[in-house]
Amino acid sequence: MTTASLQLVATADRGPLAGFGNMADKEYGSWWRTRRALVHLVLWLVVINGFILLIGLDEAGGNPFSALEELIQIFLRVGGLFATIGIIVSTQSSLLGERQQGTAEWVLSKPVTRKAFVLSKLLVNGLSFTALAVLIPTTLFFLQTLLHTYLQPSFVPFMKGLALHVEQLVFYLALTLAAGAFLGSRGAVSGLAIGVIFVGLILPGFFPSLMTWTPFGLPGYSGLVAAGQPLPILAWQPILITGLWTVLFVLVALWRFEREEL
Amino acid sequence: MAENIVIRTQGLSKAYKGVQALKSLDLEVPGNSIFGFLGPNGAGKTTTIKLLLGLVHPTSGSAEVFGHDIVGDTIDVRRRIGYLPQEPRYYEHMTARETLRFTARFFYEGPSAALEQRVEETLERVGLADKADRPIKGFSGGERQRLGIGQAQVNDPDLLILDEPAASLDPMGRRDVLAIMERLRERSTVFYSTHILDDVQRVSDTVAILNRGELIAKAPIEELLAGSDGIVYSIEVKGEGSEAEKRVADQPWVSEVRVTPDTDRSEWLVSVSDAAAAESELLRLLLADERITVTAFGRKTYDLEDVFMNLVEEDGDDDR
Repeated sequence: MTTASLQLVATADRGPLAGFGNMADKEYGSWWRTRRALVHLVLWLVVINGFILLIGLDEAGGNPFSALEELIQIFLRVGGLFATIGIIVSTQSSLLGERQQGTAEWVLSKPVTRKAFVLSKLLVNGLSFTALAVLIPTTLFFLQTLLHTYLQPSFVPFMKGLALHVEQLVFYLALTLAAGAFLGSRGAVSGLAIGVIFVGLILPGFFPSLMTWTPFGLPGYSGLVAAGQPLPILAWQPILITGLWTVLFVLVALWRFEREEL
Repeated sequence: MAENIVIRTQGLSKAYKGVQALKSLDLEVPGNSIFGFLGPNGAGKTTTIKLLLGLVHPTSGSAEVFGHDIVGDTIDVRRRIGYLPQEPRYYEHMTARETLRFTARFFYEGPSAALEQRVEETLERVGLADKADRPIKGFSGGERQRLGIGQAQVNDPDLLILDEPAASLDPMGRRDVLAIMERLRERSTVFYSTHILDDVQRVSDTVAILNRGELIAKAPIEELLAGSDGIVYSIEVKGEGSEAEKRVADQPWVSEVRVTPDTDRSEWLVSVSDAAAAESELLRLLLADERITVTAFGRKTYDLEDVFMNLVEEDGDDDR
């Protein structure tokens, strides 16, 4: 037996999240130890902050307060829409791809639970995407607003608005993972999740009550909060219900993946 | 415990959408053996392996690996297993070293230097040390298979499960795989499925043959190769042999003599009940008769391929 063998200790974790740390590190590596993070960073800076740059140049010379408010709305609504589509597209094959390519079969022959497998994807994809498509563009956005309007958004209200934006992203991430646990093609997974976004853009005009039971109102609320304006009295309902939908989708993904025959 | 049984299945069954892939499998795999699991395509070999690993769920029946239930204690089962899938797939962005490190971390914790040393040893063992830091996406089929064998043994498993381990390897790779299996036998059990019957015959202690989801044979390799006719000697004789035939048939330890005449010679199949008596007396009896010349003499053995084909075909006939 080698010295190394003597020093290594068999892992003792037998809990429901056995193997989570190693899986999370693998997921982290797939973002940050490859070019993926750099590609996303450039993409989101170009798409979100580039868009803000164009709008900011267009607004130059006007009322700085109204220009700031418009930039906040555009950042959270338009940038938010791009980011939402982005999180769906970039994670559509996270679970499905592993099922189809056979890597899930290989990994799950090791002492790792299926819960750890799914939740590591949720956590690391959520955090990595949020860092690249929300936090870094937000930092640059603060600089941009200063350059364009000589003003900056109020920090605390803006962060609250951003939190609603992130809640919406996590909702779509959970939906994409759940769809990836059930469906058999990437097109179907992304089609379903992006379809929900477009349903949210169209149907509430005909059925306003949908806003209560879905995340469709969150982009509007995040813009209001970030601009320091009060929320409608009943806004807590979709905020809470979106959280519940997210938890439900995660549970559905876990339930389905536990039954997956690999 | 009278015998060290590593895998024990009882009535283990699996159906996919109504199609019975595995039918009530009762199997015991002894420890420190190389257990060959044979069967034609679709026989249920991979299904059995996936059931043992918890990758698919049994429709009925149960199984234990090292005494752990494959459904309830699947993490404890997998902790002691190294597994090479039939078509191993890895994360393409990782290098061979990263893949082995990732695998090892499921089993071990401790100083990273010790982990790296384990990874390095494994890379050396499977001949990938010079390609350790190349991304896997550039690997050939043989290199992937070597990496597969490496990741399957990085945890020093008590049970190594290999699904068609030599299928995509060249003769050198096959030889290396067999050598690894032989080496591991000293402290592990190797359970492997294959189509390459030569390899099975060379290294296996025990063989099980599966056909259409059912176990049709399980025996030590020598027993299987001896055939179902008992001990039979195959003899080739020139000359007039009728008296010699009678003399042999009269021996109390000879149960049957079958003679097939040919143009200038005849082939004898002598079934015996006492191997020791036959070994010491049979050839002497024949040589004592000056009217015949013995041109070939030996105990009849079967090729595993013959045994396999006979069993599978008989099983097919039984079902008709």
